[in-house]
Amino acid sequence: MPVWAAAASPSPLWWRSRGQLTTMNEWMKKSPLEWEDYVYKEVTVVASEKKEYKGWFLTADPVSANVVLVNFLEDGSLSVTGIMGHSVQTIDVVNEGDHRMREKLTHLFMSGDYKGHSPEDLEKKKNSLRKWLEKNHIPITEQGDSPRTLCVAGVLTIDPPYGPENCSSANEIILSRVQDLIQGHLEAYPPEGQEL
Amino acid sequence: MQSPPGIPVPVPVIRLPRGPDGFSRGFAPEGRRVPLKSGGSELQEGPMNEDSPETQEQRARATLRERYLRSLLAMVGRPVSFTLHQGVLVAAHFGATDLDVANFYVSKLQTPIGVQAEALLRCSDIISYTFRL
Repeated sequence: MPVWAAAASPSPLWWRSRGQLTTMNEWMKKSPLEWEDYVYKEVTVVASEKKEYKGWFLTADPVSANVVLVNFLEDGSLSVTGIMGHSVQTIDVVNEGDHRMREKLTHLFMSGDYKGHSPEDLEKKKNSLRKWLEKNHIPITEQGDSPRTLCVAGVLTIDPPYGPENCSSANEIILSRVQDLIQGHLEAYPPEGQEL
Repeated sequence: MQSPPGIPVPVPVIRLPRGPDGFSRGFAPEGRRVPLKSGGSELQEGPMNEDSPETQEQRARATLRERYLRSLLAMVGRPVSFTLHQGVLVAAHFGATDLDVANFYVSKLQTPIGVQAEALLRCSDIISYTFRL
């Protein structure tokens, strides 16, 4: 199929993807309205190679049919998983969700500030990060109103939602060190179970 | 140089014959890149029906796509773990994807044989990806 024709909706059988043709599976054949039906619900997804995922359905990309799930972790942080459209085999709703969850999920990614996290999540996140930094021998204090700002050695501040980009300091060396530490705290799981 | 021309002679305009459906000009109906909004005549006009299935579908498509793009934006620069085929897990810093999300541009890709400074992961090779916020 010529490249320019791909601007329209995909043809019935083939999912064009920059020269990589894949046959469409059942999930990819669904309409946007059918995909939208899963939003804000908790689902389990079975993907290729018997991989299973569970989480709150945030969205499906209409272009690639990729599914985005969100999980709220115990330390207040979020785990976001994208499952490629071509590997989705089955998807089942396990929880219809409620208004509170809907509110929480709607604001995710929508604003640059911390509206996506609830006050409890922010508190947990702050405490989790604080413990991690203290473990790494960084002196931490807190200041301001809730959600509180973390303060390192009086020269660096960390505002909510306590990501590497929320650090502020005039001292480049300390800034770089603390940003790396925070990054390490959120580091992707190290490769395990590799087959060589 | 010839003498100034007189009144130009009208040239007959050749028009393609009308197609069998009576109003097209010989273009194949399935040759359209963008499907017709209302199934039927192109001449059909009128107030946009808010609840038409096509509008609803397009609205859903737009909302879903916007959410997905924002989730990709949130990923930029962060460490992401990719699950590839045959149980292979690799970690990298996410850079970008292309328009069709066919390729993932990543940096500092940790592979079983070393760290790759910059790499392109094909979507067909990926089963899933995950990151923390």
